[in-house]
Amino acid sequence: MQTPVFLDHLPDIDAVAGQKPAKYRLRRNQALGALLLDPTDPWQERKCCPACGQASDKNPIFSQALMEFRRCSGCNSIYAARTPDQATLDRLRLEQIAATAAEPQGDREFEFTSLLNWISLTEARLERRLDRVLDIRFASQAPAWPDATERLSHNRAWDFLHLEPDSPDFAGLRAAIAQAAPRAILMPAELDRAADPAALLAALKDAAAPGTVIFAASSCADGLEYEILGAESPSFVPLDRLTVFSIKGFETLSARLGLKVLEVSTPGRLDAVILDRYFKSAENRSIPFWSSFFREADKNRLRDLQILLQRSLKSGVLRFILET
Amino acid sequence: MGRIRHDAMDRHGGFEVVVACDTALDPTASVPMVTDPMAVYDYAPDVIVCSVPNMMIPDVVCTALERGKHVFSEKPPGRNSADVRRMMEAEAAAQAAHGGRVLKFGFNHRVHDAIEEAKKLIDAGTMGDLYFMRGVYGKAGGPNYAQNWRNDPALSGGGILIDQGIHMLDLFQMFAGRFTDVQSFVQRKFWTDVPVEDNAFALMKNAQGIVASVHSSATQWQHTFRLELYLRNGFISVDGILSASGSYGTEVLTVALNRLDATGSPIPNPESQELRFTEDRSWDKEIAEFHAAVVEGAALRCGTSQQALDVMELVEAIYAADPEWSTTRQQTPQTATE
Ligand SMILES: [Zn+2]
Repeated sequence: MQTPVFLDHLPDIDAVAGQKPAKYRLRRNQALGALLLDPTDPWQERKCCPACGQASDKNPIFSQALMEFRRCSGCNSIYAARTPDQATLDRLRLEQIAATAAEPQGDREFEFTSLLNWISLTEARLERRLDRVLDIRFASQAPAWPDATERLSHNRAWDFLHLEPDSPDFAGLRAAIAQAAPRAILMPAELDRAADPAALLAALKDAAAPGTVIFAASSCADGLEYEILGAESPSFVPLDRLTVFSIKGFETLSARLGLKVLEVSTPGRLDAVILDRYFKSAENRSIPFWSSFFREADKNRLRDLQILLQRSLKSGVLRFILET
Repeated sequence: MGRIRHDAMDRHGGFEVVVACDTALDPTASVPMVTDPMAVYDYAPDVIVCSVPNMMIPDVVCTALERGKHVFSEKPPGRNSADVRRMMEAEAAAQAAHGGRVLKFGFNHRVHDAIEEAKKLIDAGTMGDLYFMRGVYGKAGGPNYAQNWRNDPALSGGGILIDQGIHMLDLFQMFAGRFTDVQSFVQRKFWTDVPVEDNAFALMKNAQGIVASVHSSATQWQHTFRLELYLRNGFISVDGILSASGSYGTEVLTVALNRLDATGSPIPNPESQELRFTEDRSWDKEIAEFHAAVVEGAALRCGTSQQALDVMELVEAIYAADPEWSTTRQQTPQTATE
C-alpha cells in the first residue's frame, strides 16, 4: 500500500473562512434545524461506529451542538449518533444546490486538475488502463466539472451519475454502475454525507466488476483540525459530516467489505491555515503548545506544518484508492 | 558485498551456498571456506557469485563461464570496455558449449523501488516525451581513501565515476538508450595523492536529442543521490537511494503533471505527489531475477552484458572527452600489472 503526499501551495484562508462558506454553513444548519422538527421523523439511530462497528455506548460524545456526534474510542472516527434517511439527505442537498445555482461558483480548476492528475498518475503506476470512469455525484456539486473533464482528461470516457434521491441500499447507484461498466469510479464528496457509508461502499463493490479502481475522498477525523478544534472547526458542517472517518476506521470498513486498499493519503491543505486563523482571532483560547505556535507562525511555518501533517497522515481530508 | 548476496539468496530460497572464497578464512563461517579462487570448483557449484575487486572480475567471470557456470558479478564490470568484451566472448563461448549460461551484473539501482516506479510512469506515456535528465551522485571520500584499491587506476579503471557514477549512467541509458555525444570535465581536487578523479561532470546527448548531465563526486560531503527527469507533461525526481549504510536517505519519488492555463500553457509549480520508499528490496529483486534466469531460462532485463558494455563505453567516453584529464592520465605511471 502506498501513502503519497500531495504537495501544493497553501490556499487562501478565505477559501474556508470567507463569506461564501459562512453562508453555506448557515443554510445547511437551517436545513438541519428544519429536519430536527420534521414530524415524519426521518431519523435512524446508529447503535455502533459506522467504520469499525464498535458499540456506541463505548464511544464518548464528540459534540452535542445541534445534534449528537460521537468519537469512536476504537478507531477515532467521528459520527452522528443518528442520521436522516438517504432520500431525505439527497433531497436536502438538491434544494441547497438549486438555491445557490445562480451564485458565482468560483474557480475550482486547481481542484479539478488535482483529481484528474491523481487518476492519471495512478493509472500509470498501476500499469492498468482506466479509460472509462464513472463520476459519482461530483458533477452535481461542481457544475463546471464535466466541462473540465472534457478539456483536460483525454484518452478517458466519462459518465456522470447526478445526484438524485436514492434508496437506503443505493439501487439507483447500482443500476448506473451496471450500465456504465466503468474501469474506475470517482467519488470525492459522498462518504461523509451518506446515511450509511457502508451501504454506499457495498453498492460499489457489488455493482462494479472485480478489479474496478475506486478513487474516494472524504473528511478525515485524524486531521489536526478536528483534534484541536473538534466540532468548532469551520469545516465541521454537521449535515456534511455525518461520518468523519479515521484512516484506521476506513481501512477496517474497506477490509470488512472485501475492498482492497491500494493507497491512502491525507492531502488536506487547510488544517494549518484554519488553525492559524482560529488562534489569531480567538485571543483568549489557550491550548498548550499550539496557541503560541500558531500566534507566532508565519506562512512558511504553516506550510512546513501542513506538509508534516500530510506526511504523518494527519490532515483533515483523506483520499483512498480501493479495488473491488 | 558477498555477505549481502548470501543473505539475499537465503531469503529467496532455491540456492545452497556450497563454498565461500575470501582472502582470509573465517572460523565462524557457516559454509566451507577457501582462499584459493580455483579451489571453489572442487565443490562443483552451478553458480559463481563474483564479489571481487574490479581488476579480478574479468578473470573470475571468464574462468567460471569456461567451466559452464552461471555467473552473477558485482559492478563495475571490470575496469574498461575491453574487460567487458572479453567477458562477452566468454559468455558467447559458454552459450555455444553449454547452452543457457547466465551472466548478470549487479546494477541494482535499476530495481530500486523509486526507480522502477519512475520507469512505470514514463512507460505509461502519461508524462509525454522525455526531454532531459540530471543526475547527482556523490559521497565524502571514505576511510583510507588514498590506500583503497578503488583509487589505483590499474586496479579499478578509474575513480568515483566508475565506482559510483556508473550507476547513474546506467540509469540514464535505461531511461533513454545509449548516449554517444559527450562533453566533460574530470577533476582531482581534494584527494590529490591518488591518480584518479574525485569529481566528474559530463553533459551528453543521444541520437533522439535527449540531453543528460551527471555530476559524480567524492567531495560531495553530504551523501547525495538525486535523479531528475523532465518530460513534456511534467517531471519526476528521485531523491536519496536506499543503501546498506543508509547514508543516502530513504528514496523519495516526486512526480508532477503540469496544470495548464486557459491558453494551454503550463502554470509554474504544479501540485506534486511524493512517494517514500523505506525498504531496500533491490538485492532481493536482483537475486530473484538471476534465479529465474538460471532455473526457468527467463530473459534478463537488468544487468546484461550488453548493458554493461554500453555503460562502460560511456564511462570511457566521459574520461576521454576532457582532453586535459586524458593527457594527465596517460602520463600517470600505472604501477600494478595490467
Ligand atoms: Zn470505530
